[in-house]
Amino acid sequence: MSTSPRKRPASEAIVAGGVVVLLIAIVGLVFWSGAGSSLFPPKAVTDRAHEISQLYDVVFAIAVAIFLAVEGLIVWSILRYRRRPTDTELPPQTHGNNVVEALWTAIPTVIVLFLFGVSWDTLNKVDATSVAQGGQPDVRINAIAGQFQWQFEYLDAGGKHLATQTKALSGSGGGGMAVPVGKKVYVTLTSGDVIHAWYVPRFLFKRDVVPGQTNHFEFTVDADEAGQTFHGQCAELCGTFHNAMHFDVIAMSQPDFDAWLAKLVEVANATPPPPPSGAPTLKVEAKNIAFDVKTLEVAGNTPFVINFKNDDPSSITHDVEIRQSDGTTVVQKQDAIPGGTEKNYQYEPLAPGTYTFICSIHPIAPMTGTLTVK
Amino acid sequence: MATHALSPAAVAGYRGGLYEWLTTTDHKKIGIMYVINSFLFFLIGGVFALLVRTELAVPGIQLFTNEHVYNEAFSIHATVMIFLFIIPMLAGLGNYAVPLMIGAPDMAFPRINALSFWMLPLGGILLLAGFLTPGGAAAAGWTSYPPLSERGALSSPGPGQDLWIVALILIGTSSILGGINFLVTIFKMRAPGMTLFRMPIMVWTMLVTSVLVVMATPVITSALVMLFIDRNYGGTFFLPPEGQAVLYQNIFWFYSHPAVYVMVLPAMGVISEVLPVFSRKPLFGYKAFIFATAGIGALGFSVWAHHMFTTGAVFLPFFSLMTFLIAVPTGVKMFNWVFTLFRGQLTFSTPLIFAIGFLTMFLIGGINGAFSAAVPIDFALQDTYWVVAHLHYVLFGGSVFGMFAGIYYWFPKWTGRMLEEGLGKVHFVLMFVGFNLTFFPMHMLGIQGMPRRIADYADPSWNGWNLLASVGGFIIGVSVLPFLWNVFISLRNGKVAGDDPWGGNTLEWATSSPPPPYNFDRLPEIRSERPVFDARHGHVAHGGHGGPVEEEAPAALEEGHVDSQGPGGAS
Repeated sequence: MSTSPRKRPASEAIVAGGVVVLLIAIVGLVFWSGAGSSLFPPKAVTDRAHEISQLYDVVFAIAVAIFLAVEGLIVWSILRYRRRPTDTELPPQTHGNNVVEALWTAIPTVIVLFLFGVSWDTLNKVDATSVAQGGQPDVRINAIAGQFQWQFEYLDAGGKHLATQTKALSGSGGGGMAVPVGKKVYVTLTSGDVIHAWYVPRFLFKRDVVPGQTNHFEFTVDADEAGQTFHGQCAELCGTFHNAMHFDVIAMSQPDFDAWLAKLVEVANATPPPPPSGAPTLKVEAKNIAFDVKTLEVAGNTPFVINFKNDDPSSITHDVEIRQSDGTTVVQKQDAIPGGTEKNYQYEPLAPGTYTFICSIHPIAPMTGTLTVK
Repeated sequence: MATHALSPAAVAGYRGGLYEWLTTTDHKKIGIMYVINSFLFFLIGGVFALLVRTELAVPGIQLFTNEHVYNEAFSIHATVMIFLFIIPMLAGLGNYAVPLMIGAPDMAFPRINALSFWMLPLGGILLLAGFLTPGGAAAAGWTSYPPLSERGALSSPGPGQDLWIVALILIGTSSILGGINFLVTIFKMRAPGMTLFRMPIMVWTMLVTSVLVVMATPVITSALVMLFIDRNYGGTFFLPPEGQAVLYQNIFWFYSHPAVYVMVLPAMGVISEVLPVFSRKPLFGYKAFIFATAGIGALGFSVWAHHMFTTGAVFLPFFSLMTFLIAVPTGVKMFNWVFTLFRGQLTFSTPLIFAIGFLTMFLIGGINGAFSAAVPIDFALQDTYWVVAHLHYVLFGGSVFGMFAGIYYWFPKWTGRMLEEGLGKVHFVLMFVGFNLTFFPMHMLGIQGMPRRIADYADPSWNGWNLLASVGGFIIGVSVLPFLWNVFISLRNGKVAGDDPWGGNTLEWATSSPPPPYNFDRLPEIRSERPVFDARHGHVAHGGHGGPVEEEAPAALEEGHVDSQGPGGAS
């Protein structure tokens, strides 16, 4: 079959050429429409992210040059060296050339050593922390990951615990941390269950949260980013609701941050308000990712209290959310509490009917029950 | 064993069809069963991929209202594709080709060869049986990192994870036995004149692959056994505070990174056979290519922790440097392939088109890997869709295109029939376009911050790329149809292939299509890495070669045509 002469141009070459033209057209369209900018990192917002972004640009430039050179050589060989009807003799039987082999070993070696050098240099800047250098960061935060929620502990300069942020700071759910712009923020990562990863795309950074091991990193948010919210998410598969482990990083000016932290400490140290007198109190306990009761009953159209105790490890947070009997439509939310604590949840009056009570962080059968309102 | 060739009539037809296939120890029949079995698992793994892409086509949860089942879908997709499709498919291509290419009558251990094969469907059934158990199939990703893969209410409580472990141990044992079989076959069964440096590149890549398999697979087996003990007998190998979670990752990747080369080296071998034949030139830099293959095999054992850069438990500079360095021998191969095309006379039959598909896509898979070798950039990219793009450009754009090149190339040898060229090209164009639509946008998703292994996404700027990827995924799915139809009609009415339809170089083209059970009535002289080419063209075209290498076979055996039994052929 390969020995039979064929008319030119070969239909195969037209197909191959068509594919190449189509691809070039698609790539051209993507860049012309502005979508090509998606191939670059989002705008960096921390000192470390600027370093990583610059390194990306260097690697990207070299990558594009190599891609165009080699891919161009392939396409050119395809178009130029098609077998023609006149090709009855064999082409020159070149077996190789030691000089070019040495060249295309040496030149790539130089390129990768250069890439290693610049990336190592950047790595040393990204991984540097003031603690490792014997200095003091401006803010210390312990990020505690648990299935499937983030908690952020704020510490003072001596490492003493000030207060813990256990809920979202904006509307998107999950956890939240606030940081002052222009200040060195030192984060320690711990996990009590499985491996998670702390990932904020705009920081171009993630670090695994490994049980039995503490990881640290440091960053400084750009001064002009005050008031911005940066979305973060767990990046290491951690179980069924991995997808729900979002958090936000809110950048604040120093005065705003100080006020925010003072408020957090004040709330943490305040004595919880006593339950309204006369309100019926129900008891619910959570242990081993399960509620101890599956059914609750309460009188209709009157406020009530659930005394909720979380007996799981401290990294595991639970709450008791009231939903419609469909199990999805939320009626009343509560703030989650970490393991080893308890809280009196106060609920507004409910109309008589059947409702679902559920842990919004672990909406699985053992953490779901029926609330009957008479 | 007799040293003279048996006539075909002496062995043909003494057992019935199905019984013969179920009990065969013929490397060719076993090779074909490997290919068919692997292809079935490719279809199964593909269905899971399409379920995942259907869920991700638009934001929100549509298909997998139980997100745990979504985790099962991508975990089983990857496990099936890696352990039951790519690795055994390439082992199957090698199983058929290697004894023929070195002029041997069979593998060194034919019964062990059959055992290696039959462990695979058994392992596959055990893996998929997880779906029938309470709690479903394994859902901790194909990597199954503990503590998530340990027993625990929110981790992996069900027996699906145990079935995953047992299935992988079985499949790993199959690989180890196969690897030993290849090594002994290659070292002891070569025909007279077939020195190491006259072996086809396909045989060299199977040799290096087998070394990797035999050295690395027992290591992952140890991790799997420890995980099984943790799960079932109260062990704490990977559970803090007594054990170490990251220890598993080190052991797992000590196997699984070399396994990447297990999944790509044989495909490199395939296209190193295809490119010269359809360029009518020898492979450029035969020996350099062999040294590069060995170099990749050796360096492949020193880069495993680049999968773990973000764990905070890795000596970063060493693994970054080694990862950059492994690009060098890979680059040498790329240049040798391109210079094989250069100044050749190219015939664009389907095998060559798929081989060129390999070159263009594997190039991207190499380049986008360099971003992750730069540790700080990997801090951004690790566990995002960029990694999904990278691994598919290597394993699909590379390995899968390479194995389709091999299937189109050897189908005439396997069956005696040609596959239809037009349908082959439709298959290629659909698969190539679908592949790029699916996986190129994943670069954008990754660098913009979309983590992998999530059932839903919140950033509206990701919607378009996800939809595009899902459309591409279905085009890949459709592309398999013309291939299946092509196999069906070609087996019935395909053009008769003859012994050597492509003008081949290597010994499998010196026997009938399909070959007789003992492979060869007679062998041509073996004086170079292209004995069949030499037989067709004489030695005139050998000017540029660096001269023949001294061989270990006795020179007296190298006269004229020798029969099929090599000196080590008594099995």
